[in-house]
Amino acid sequence: MSDPTTTATTVPGARTALRGMALLCLAGAALGTGYNALGLEARDGWGLPWIGRDRLAELEASATVVGSSSAGTTTSADPYVTQISDPRAVLAGAGSGLPEIPAADHPVQIEREALRQYVDAGAALVVDAREPQEYEAGHIPGAVSLPYDQVATDRQRLEQLDTGGRPIVIYCGGGACELSLSLAWDLVYSGHARVAVYMGGYPDWLAVGLPVVTGTEP
Amino acid sequence: MSAARFVRASWSVRACEIATGVILAWAGLAKIGDLATFAGQIHNFRILPVAFENLAAMTLPWIEIVVALTLLFGIRSRDGARTALVLLVVFTLAVVAAVARGLDIECGCFGTADASHVGWRKIAENLGMIAIAAVAARGPALPLTERLSGAARLETGDARP
Repeated sequence: MSDPTTTATTVPGARTALRGMALLCLAGAALGTGYNALGLEARDGWGLPWIGRDRLAELEASATVVGSSSAGTTTSADPYVTQISDPRAVLAGAGSGLPEIPAADHPVQIEREALRQYVDAGAALVVDAREPQEYEAGHIPGAVSLPYDQVATDRQRLEQLDTGGRPIVIYCGGGACELSLSLAWDLVYSGHARVAVYMGGYPDWLAVGLPVVTGTEP
Repeated sequence: MSAARFVRASWSVRACEIATGVILAWAGLAKIGDLATFAGQIHNFRILPVAFENLAAMTLPWIEIVVALTLLFGIRSRDGARTALVLLVVFTLAVVAAVARGLDIECGCFGTADASHVGWRKIAENLGMIAIAAVAARGPALPLTERLSGAARLETGDARP
């Protein structure tokens, strides 16, 4: 062909072809890693520090569990609590004795009993991360539908989510809780500080016979 | 002109190299702009372990761009075309897997500006791109092993018409 060097490189056959392909992939990978290492793509929570990190394991290892015996009063001194400017937050949570969902740069876990108190008091924005059909078939009272598969790429919608100054509690269909976790991290990256995940999800809520609502309304 | 002659003609190979290069450059550049979103889109496919998603999001667009450059400039373009072919096959398998599992997710193929969802249409598009890349990689209907080992013979014969 017109390019003799290319012809020459393919003469020894398949092994050389594979070596050539591997070389290109390595070059690309090196450029990509370098680009991110230099901080040219600086965005919290993404990039180099996240290689090899499993968000699920992170949450389970480090998270405050709201409502469990280990949480309790340790978060009451959180400086962020006093900085909430939305008056509705005061109305919703003040003096209610609810377990505190702390402000953090990562989601925390919330236990069923703590979530029940929040639902009764209307003190949290409860978010259903499942599909709309699942939401319609039954959801936690007061929960709004925010299907992860719809909002995952809609950062603006997440950033503009009106929590009324309340913390956000996310649940999905239980299991590995992938939807909730992904949505929780996206909300944290979108600027929401108090985000909790109810790992048991809807099945756990149903299992103890707590009230549910059917239909498209919260 | 028969299909076999089209595949062997150097101008059609060059045209397919450029076409594949433009597609991959476009895809790569569109993804580099928003790493977080691309990582999220990879996550939606539920194929990679979570721990590898960010690594893939960081490196894949750059591999696409390196491959595109080889094709556009004709430097190591055969390696580039083969890599493009492998990438496209892997991407297509990912889309097929997503469709088979009934996931209704954004493809992420061309970054955030492209809101196309995975589906049969996307698979058809990808098969078309695979065909173009296969011509660029000089892919006549020979078995892969024979093609790889016989490539040198074909090419040297072609070089002195």
